[in-house]
Amino acid sequence: MDQRAILDHQFVIAAYAITWAIQLGYLAWLGLKWRAQQRNARPKGRATR
Amino acid sequence: MKKLAISLYAVVTVALLGWAWYQAIYVAPDEQTMHEAQRIFYYHVPSAMVAFLFFAISLAGSVGYLAFRRNRAEWAQISDAWALAGAEVGVVFCTVVLITGPLWGRRAWGIWWTWDARLTTTLVLWLIYVSYLLLRRFAAGPQVQTLAAVLGIFGALDVPIVYMSNRWWRTQHPAPVFGGGSDSGVKDPAMLAAFGWNVLAWLAWGLLILALRYHVERHHQKIAAQDAQDALDA
Repeated sequence: MDQRAILDHQFVIAAYAITWAIQLGYLAWLGLKWRAQQRNARPKGRATR
Repeated sequence: MKKLAISLYAVVTVALLGWAWYQAIYVAPDEQTMHEAQRIFYYHVPSAMVAFLFFAISLAGSVGYLAFRRNRAEWAQISDAWALAGAEVGVVFCTVVLITGPLWGRRAWGIWWTWDARLTTTLVLWLIYVSYLLLRRFAAGPQVQTLAAVLGIFGALDVPIVYMSNRWWRTQHPAPVFGGGSDSGVKDPAMLAAFGWNVLAWLAWGLLILALRYHVERHHQKIAAQDAQDALDA
């Protein structure tokens, strides 16, 4: 493998890894937001019952 | 039943993403001039397509909010939730485009960035929708949703400009994949298949997280409405 091919390969890996990191990071943030929302909503639900 | 359908959809989406990745890395051949670096295309272009679609959903939601805000409160809230979900998930995909593009550009052109029309209009699009999200996050008061809807509509006006930029102006960016003339497009069937699978997979993934974001926002709206009602009752 020449130097150019190695660099090409590294750039492809970087692009794919960054894409997955952004997408999964957003999904995780969404999950945390959802969990916090559920946690905050529950005590009020009990109080109004 | 609903949970089962969502779980099934999520499993199919993950399988599709795996299959699309395999197609892009192992099945599609190397491009003749850009060699392996061209495989960034299989994530870069589908992400741009999905971002454009979600900004269009945000536009529809923003228009819906402005149309319904005075006479149909529930419809207005639903429209607003779609507008926010579309803008936020659109920004996620647009961020992917703005990071994978320079990585590809560095290998193809030897530079990370150039202020050509396609790249600049895409950056402006991203900045407009980041402003939209910041407005929604930090502004307070009854007019926030209306202001956000107006900004969302103006932001969406940039989408056709981004799409047409490499037709209207001479750019460093490659010709459009579709409708860019006889020299453009994906010619190799294996490359076309890998591209198609990646468009399908990222669209399925995007719709999944869009639906989740919409659901979270609707839940937030209901809690806020309940809080307001409790305050009135107290």
